[in-house]
Amino acid sequence: MLSYRSVMLLLTVQARFSSGTRKDQPPAPRILTPIYLNKVPVNPHAEKSVQTVPGGSGRSFDYVTPSNKEGDVILNCELEGVSEFFNMSWIREGELNLIEKLSANILKAGPMPKHVAFIMDGNRRYARKRHVERQEGHTQGFDKLAETLRWCLNLSIHEVTVYAFSIENFKRSKDEVDGLMELAKQKFIRLLQEQENLEKHGVCIRVLGDLTLLPLDLQQHIARAVVATRTHNKCFLNVCFAYTSRHEIANAVREMAWGVEQGLIKSSDVSEALLGHCLYSSNSPNPDLLIRTSGEVRLSDFLLWQTSHSCLVFQSVLWPEYSFWNLCDAILQYQLNHRPLQKARDQHREGQALQQHEADRACVADLLQHHGNGKPLDAQRRQEALLNYTASREERVQDFLGALQHKRDSFLTDLTSQAALA
Amino acid sequence: MAIVYEFVWQVLHVLLHIHRTLITWFRIRLRNWNGRLWSRALTALIVPMALSFPNQKNIVPAPGKRVGRRYRWGADGKSLEKLPDHIGLLIAEEEPRYTDIANLVVWCMAVGISYVSVYDNYGVFRRNNSRLMDEILKQQQELLDLEGSKQLCVEFLNNGTDKQDQQVLSCQSVLKVLSPDDGKLRIVQAAQQLCRAVEQREKTSEDINVTVLDSLLRESKSTPDPDLVLKFGPVESTLGFLPWHIRLTEFISLPSHVGVSYEDLFSALQRYASCEQRLGK
Repeated sequence: MLSYRSVMLLLTVQARFSSGTRKDQPPAPRILTPIYLNKVPVNPHAEKSVQTVPGGSGRSFDYVTPSNKEGDVILNCELEGVSEFFNMSWIREGELNLIEKLSANILKAGPMPKHVAFIMDGNRRYARKRHVERQEGHTQGFDKLAETLRWCLNLSIHEVTVYAFSIENFKRSKDEVDGLMELAKQKFIRLLQEQENLEKHGVCIRVLGDLTLLPLDLQQHIARAVVATRTHNKCFLNVCFAYTSRHEIANAVREMAWGVEQGLIKSSDVSEALLGHCLYSSNSPNPDLLIRTSGEVRLSDFLLWQTSHSCLVFQSVLWPEYSFWNLCDAILQYQLNHRPLQKARDQHREGQALQQHEADRACVADLLQHHGNGKPLDAQRRQEALLNYTASREERVQDFLGALQHKRDSFLTDLTSQAALA
Repeated sequence: MAIVYEFVWQVLHVLLHIHRTLITWFRIRLRNWNGRLWSRALTALIVPMALSFPNQKNIVPAPGKRVGRRYRWGADGKSLEKLPDHIGLLIAEEEPRYTDIANLVVWCMAVGISYVSVYDNYGVFRRNNSRLMDEILKQQQELLDLEGSKQLCVEFLNNGTDKQDQQVLSCQSVLKVLSPDDGKLRIVQAAQQLCRAVEQREKTSEDINVTVLDSLLRESKSTPDPDLVLKFGPVESTLGFLPWHIRLTEFISLPSHVGVSYEDLFSALQRYASCEQRLGK
């Protein structure tokens, strides 16, 4: 494990190295970026021998040998991020070592979260700590994300939401923002190249946020990735990009107002449930567990609506140093809080249903007053009117949500066709 | 094999519960032991006449001592690098103790925090608002030697009017008693209001943005968002506390509000003072 950590920041893997049963060789790019060996830039032609180091996850890495030269086939793992996870960790069985597997099985005996959200904080502090470039911190952070996704799948957690880029982050220096946009673009491009693997493992990528704030080329790459994986349904990765929770809620209210403008719904149809369905995250259940690393104890405008009854775990480890045991610790916290949170959630849901019922009743009473002939209706007629009203409201709402989904899908499809034409 | 794992899991959780219970038990014992020691020292050294009283549990210090404490707490507040403008007390426990909460509110006021919110998941404080107010007034009297509600204004979190704004300005501290209805339900009501305006062609959907929604949800222009929420109880969640307002709020957990001491509150405030908010940068 330790030697894995001390491996160079930009890991390189020999394309010809077969880590066991690697069936699908992804296309191999050239050496494009400087190679580091123990954090020191290395001339690929220097006197260093091949070393095979067992990786923490059972992977082995060959260092660049003196015989390597420019143009040799070397896979740069910095570009491989997510796809490496799909290539190597998915196809191989037994990625967790024995102790990890044992702990996973013990944890799985109790209630497990189905949807976990991560605030991956601490990349820059990690970079400062290790005396490297900030960009390296972010890259390491992305690699750690890939690893954490694998752990989640080993623990049967099929939905993960991550906070990649906040609208507030646009305030950072132009260089850093551009660097992050470039990193994101590379990741999405690579993702698209791995489409077959994504299909095989049923991974659905969703990007939540106001995409119109991003550069157009990044928007197009994102749209392509989302549209390509739209129909997959085995596991879900939601990436919050150009996102803040307040913008999300305001956008949901705006969408409902659009529905009213279009005559699809009435203002009296607005409810907590409907607002929830208009959020960017409408296709996902609420997160069961929210984990924030690096010791900060705030939510920073992330999923404020969705996590009102989730288990919040604040851990002091920096994100690029996150380990399987940190994840297990968080899940343990979730299990300890499971029952009281379930109770609180059920109670809230009951309250919501009651409020909806009362609202419907008030609407029906209003309608009867306006359209009735002055004679009070008996209880049965009132009940009938209430049921009719509720049914028609629900139908209106379903039609509206269908129209909203269509609007969102068209936006993405338009972007992809733009990209195809370009 | 699954049975073995389940058994180990059960054992693990039993151990964790025992661990938690032991810690709570030790904390209470230590506090009582310390408390008794301190009150005995006080009695013996500072108030000689109190020696004649057999019951030493509820020592009421001399008026001079109360005023001294008020100034000490005020000085403590000034000594911190930063003090929250608005503190939220989230009680995530089944049985709220009104005296302890009143103590917390009074201490927060004494330290110099302008807005204090009290919240629980079941809306108990909202329903028993008058009882809470009585306790607070009583504790104000005991701890700070302040008559009446001169220093404190209570405000329900509802649609603010200008009149209320004026009232707020004249008080040193404002207490808000919150319930889950002030969270998501308020946001839904604001959304309904905006949609009605759109229905009546007073607004368009494009007019709706974060600023517009924020101004509707800010019940009075002067009330800031909570900077710090102290969560009391074992449940690790916000339990529906003001979702819109807590985007930059620091959350500090304390084990329980039962028997909470001023030192607990102050150490949480010290922790808050040392945190760094980068605001996305």
